[in-house]
Amino acid sequence: MADHLNTIQGAVIGGKHGEIKGLVQQALDAGLDPGGIVNDALIAAMDVVGKDFGDGKIFVPEMLVSAVTMKAGLEVVKPHLAGGESQSRGTIIMATVKGDLHDIGKNLVSMMLEGAGFKVMDLGVDLNVDKLIDQVKALQPDILGLSALLTTTMPEMQKVIGELKAQGLRDRVKVLVGGAPVDRAFAEKIGADGYGANATEAVELARRFAGAKG
Amino acid sequence: MNLMPDFNRFLAAVRHKETDRVPLGEILIDYSIQSQFLGRPVAADDLPGQVEFWSKAGYDFMPITVSMMSPGKVTEESGITRVLKEMVLREKPGTTDPKAWNLEFTSFIHERPDLDKFPWEAAADIDFSKLHAVKELLPEGMKVIAISGKIFTLTWMLMGFNNFALKLVLDESLVAEVFERVATIQFKALETIFGMDHVAGVWVVDDIAFGTGPMISPAALKKHVFSWYKKVGDRCHENSRIFLMHSDGDLSVLMDDLIAMGLDVIQPIDPSCMDMAKVKKQWGDRICLIGNVSNELLRSGSTPQIEARVKELLRDAAPGGGFALGSGNSVPNWAKYENYTAMRETCLKHGSYPISIR
Repeated sequence: MADHLNTIQGAVIGGKHGEIKGLVQQALDAGLDPGGIVNDALIAAMDVVGKDFGDGKIFVPEMLVSAVTMKAGLEVVKPHLAGGESQSRGTIIMATVKGDLHDIGKNLVSMMLEGAGFKVMDLGVDLNVDKLIDQVKALQPDILGLSALLTTTMPEMQKVIGELKAQGLRDRVKVLVGGAPVDRAFAEKIGADGYGANATEAVELARRFAGAKG
Repeated sequence: MNLMPDFNRFLAAVRHKETDRVPLGEILIDYSIQSQFLGRPVAADDLPGQVEFWSKAGYDFMPITVSMMSPGKVTEESGITRVLKEMVLREKPGTTDPKAWNLEFTSFIHERPDLDKFPWEAAADIDFSKLHAVKELLPEGMKVIAISGKIFTLTWMLMGFNNFALKLVLDESLVAEVFERVATIQFKALETIFGMDHVAGVWVVDDIAFGTGPMISPAALKKHVFSWYKKVGDRCHENSRIFLMHSDGDLSVLMDDLIAMGLDVIQPIDPSCMDMAKVKKQWGDRICLIGNVSNELLRSGSTPQIEARVKELLRDAAPGGGFALGSGNSVPNWAKYENYTAMRETCLKHGSYPISIR
């Protein structure tokens, strides 16, 4: 059993996207628990990938290929999951704030959150406050992730948090912020629940928030 | 204080020599800042106004963009936007949304057939008119640095970042071909640039790093990007021009490779993630540094804070040459004008050699 899990882990970490489906199928055929394949092989592998990325051992391309590999493996195992097992760890809205078109960082965080088992609704870039509030109402996420690359657009984050408060939604959603000009002090100042310096930290925070909710 | 432009002053700094004072250097200063300085409007088409600004403000050179993209962002006016718009309208007549041809929103080369469909020849048609026109306007002693390059950025923008990153691992030869096509255009431009005596250098503006480090592995950068830039550097030096580079982000693990590829100057030593004093200590004897007054400080700081920061930089980076003072990126329209002037004036006031700031 451990062999199968280790092989799947290794394939995700090594970005063997051409092999992953066959490996997951072999594990299922050998009678391995589908939930175990997800948690102990696929998600566990992405934890290693995230750590390696955070430590500067691998870079964005390698991380993305691992994420794509993980997703391909997940597609094979998903139909075999029992109802409860297929539930995500939580729903997260991701968006770059108004006036800002940068999305590389946001996309990386989205990929890593998906890899960690969250359901991610990526709303794209240049999202104004009203649109974001509408989506928070409609999708009722557990977490709202906001990204900004420009010092001129980061004040938008504060406006979003202010509007969440004004509309009585603030207690229903955790707000996670990130992006090159953003730091912990800014996140605290605007009343965000968390700041992720990179994708790995963002995933850690999301897990903490999801755990706190549970 | 001598405000007369003198490119030899900047050149001496590049060669790690002290002259009369520390030079000033920027890749871009927003026209609103130039307008406030001159007390009259300066616009994109006002070349005499721009020359007047750069020379009166104490710069020894003015940067002029001749690549397909403006530094920093893709605009409706960028050459590449025009080429892409023509291609989109040819394939999908009636398209009206400008996002359809703006590389900030869309990408064009996803698979191999897209590579051959792309109008490379049209993209190589770079407009040199501004570079030609400026020759007669330059005051004595002043030179132009041509802003060209963007081999890395243009490649990933044409492919879309996620697709580029995935293909770099899954279909490396496709990425290598896009790099080659983009680089070939840049090389063609270089030959025209070298024919102009008033152009003293080539400045590639190509962000290759995030605040946390390189955007792709140093090995991949070396193989696909630095190999081309080494050739750019070689061509520059063969033609007695200097070779400069701008990149945001933390370049620490790349500095040795950047120096090895023949770079003379690196700018701006991103103040959000790099420490100028440490960079000067570790690499400052092998490469000239330009920067690195934080843009956030220019936006929200006070003039005393700016003065203090400029003095720190002069103390830490200017002795022995190899340094020009400037912003931590470029001077945008959202920088406070009084902070820009404080940065410039503090350098002019306290930047006389030998540096006496303790």
